[in-house]
Amino acid sequence: MVFVHGFGCDQQMWRLVAPAFEAEYRVVLLDLVGAGNSDLTAYAPARYSTLAAHAEDVREVLEALDAHEVIFVGHSVSAMIGVLAAAQEPTRFSRLILVGPSPHYLNEAGYPGGFELGDIEELLEAMDSNYLGWSAAFAPVVMDTPDQPALTAELTNSFCRTDPAIARHFARVTFLGDNRADLPGVRTPALILQSARDLIAPLAVGAYVHHQLAGSKLVVLNTSGHCPHVSAPEATVAAMRGYLQETHPLPV
Amino acid sequence: MKLDSDEPELPHRLDLRLTQESAEDLYEQAPCGYCSCLPDGTLVKLNQTLLAWLGYAREEVVARRTLQHLLTIGGALHFEMHGMPLLLLQGYVRELSYQLRRKDGTSLPVLLNADLVRDWDGSPLVLRIMLVDITDRRQYELELRRTKNLAEQQREQLAQANTALQTSNEQLRRANVDLDSFIYSASHDLRLPITNIEGLVQLLREQLAEDPGLTRELQPVLAMMQESVERFKRTIEYLSDVTKLQKEHAPPTTDVPLWPVVEDVRQDLEPLIAATGATLEVDVASCPTVPFSTKYLRSVVYNLLSNALKFRHPDRAPRVQIRCRSEAANVVLEVQDNGLGIKEAHHAELFIMFRRLHNHVEGSGIGLFMVKRSVENQGGKVEVRSTPGVGSTFTVYFPR
Repeated sequence: MVFVHGFGCDQQMWRLVAPAFEAEYRVVLLDLVGAGNSDLTAYAPARYSTLAAHAEDVREVLEALDAHEVIFVGHSVSAMIGVLAAAQEPTRFSRLILVGPSPHYLNEAGYPGGFELGDIEELLEAMDSNYLGWSAAFAPVVMDTPDQPALTAELTNSFCRTDPAIARHFARVTFLGDNRADLPGVRTPALILQSARDLIAPLAVGAYVHHQLAGSKLVVLNTSGHCPHVSAPEATVAAMRGYLQETHPLPV
Repeated sequence: MKLDSDEPELPHRLDLRLTQESAEDLYEQAPCGYCSCLPDGTLVKLNQTLLAWLGYAREEVVARRTLQHLLTIGGALHFEMHGMPLLLLQGYVRELSYQLRRKDGTSLPVLLNADLVRDWDGSPLVLRIMLVDITDRRQYELELRRTKNLAEQQREQLAQANTALQTSNEQLRRANVDLDSFIYSASHDLRLPITNIEGLVQLLREQLAEDPGLTRELQPVLAMMQESVERFKRTIEYLSDVTKLQKEHAPPTTDVPLWPVVEDVRQDLEPLIAATGATLEVDVASCPTVPFSTKYLRSVVYNLLSNALKFRHPDRAPRVQIRCRSEAANVVLEVQDNGLGIKEAHHAELFIMFRRLHNHVEGSGIGLFMVKRSVENQGGKVEVRSTPGVGSTFTVYFPR
């Protein structure tokens, strides 16, 4: 089971979900090139001008690990990266779990993507204004969570830190790209985990993805926000587990 | 209060009203905006300051709107993707820069700090948010960012220009190396055939000697052939001088006494000086020595002086001034004549190898090339000022 993070953070986003599957699955976490602890110098803007390059990266990792029957779990933009990877190499993947997927963020005729071009420009502007948050290391954090001491050590590596120029480029690729045409080509069974109130990937978009992906199942979590795996990890884990059980029951 | 009063000021009396400061009033009228939200962003409590900034009545927003609604859409996107996960993972965010959207559609730049309060079971309970108005600071920041972007653009342009320069520099360098090696092989490869031709001319001359009639008849042709051979050999000699100069890219320099060199050259050129009735005015007392190699200093002086005599004006006897001066960085040698002068348009061609501007004067076209090359090899330079019909001044800068 491979977990791929969305835009704006890194693999640490899965910390409340991924451990729940470690007993049953071989769990793989990765940072997309340009994020987290990846080699930032490997981020060549020309190569990463579409999501396909990230999908190739994911497949390369899986091939190096000799992973088969892969359950791909992708959040946000990485949901689409999973769709592309499954289209490129259908035999490698057994199921896709897409958390808050959106194939296209802009409103088009007959497609309610949710945003206008001006909104995306505003996002880029907000990113520029928060340059420090994206780039500089956060000071070591002492967290008031005595029951989760492992958190503290990890936090000193800082969360969701990235290079501002890369974040800006990746934001453009993510929010101005259009991967709607890639959906119908995917035959891998997929679970769409949709937050009931998601500003970034609204319900209508989740329904669209469900409609376009043959053999997909849409589960709407009664949560708010774009990151149910962070805000409602238990519900997310339960929905994932339920889907995995019903599509491929584990021997008891 | 009178500032210039001599009366001692009364000590401040504690205003008892200060003790009326209440936490509630401090919250409502604080010089910053406060609000509390549910973990999904639903607003549950706002202070009066924030409501006044926004232009909303309390009942319009409490339980009806989310924090995200109060931001621009781009800001809300950023908060959802970055701020919210950070809050949930680390329990707080600091100094996120956003624009608040007022009820009337205008915006207000703010910095947002937030803490997440968890329930007894660890589940997220409430977000406490503080907003600071940063209108002026924001202007300043925008200006900084604008100039930073500008500087970055210029840096990129400069880097590109630099790369282009390096490329053409490298091309020029290669072209120079090619030219040097061409000159070297030309001077080398032409030597053998011309020696052969000279031998054959000699042989022809000997064989013709048996027939005095024919010899007489062909004598002018033989003489011209011999003359051409000589000219050819001289050209090859010049070429090999050039290659020697190139090999000795930076020959060792010493402080060469200038006057003896000038005197030596003058003696060499004495026949020409006498024949043209030239006057030489030498004033090199202000720089007794020149930092250069002896051999090439002689070549520089010889070439400049002989040119001054050769390219004399037909209407007047040559008058040549050789002077020098000491500057901070250079010893400067000047040779001024009252000769033909050179049109400005031809100045650049003067120093090209085998380029000759006057055919009526004997010359190889290599002298000034050698002067320029040897001086530039030492980091110096040669300049020319000239007025056609009046005369020319060649200035040589020898760096210290």
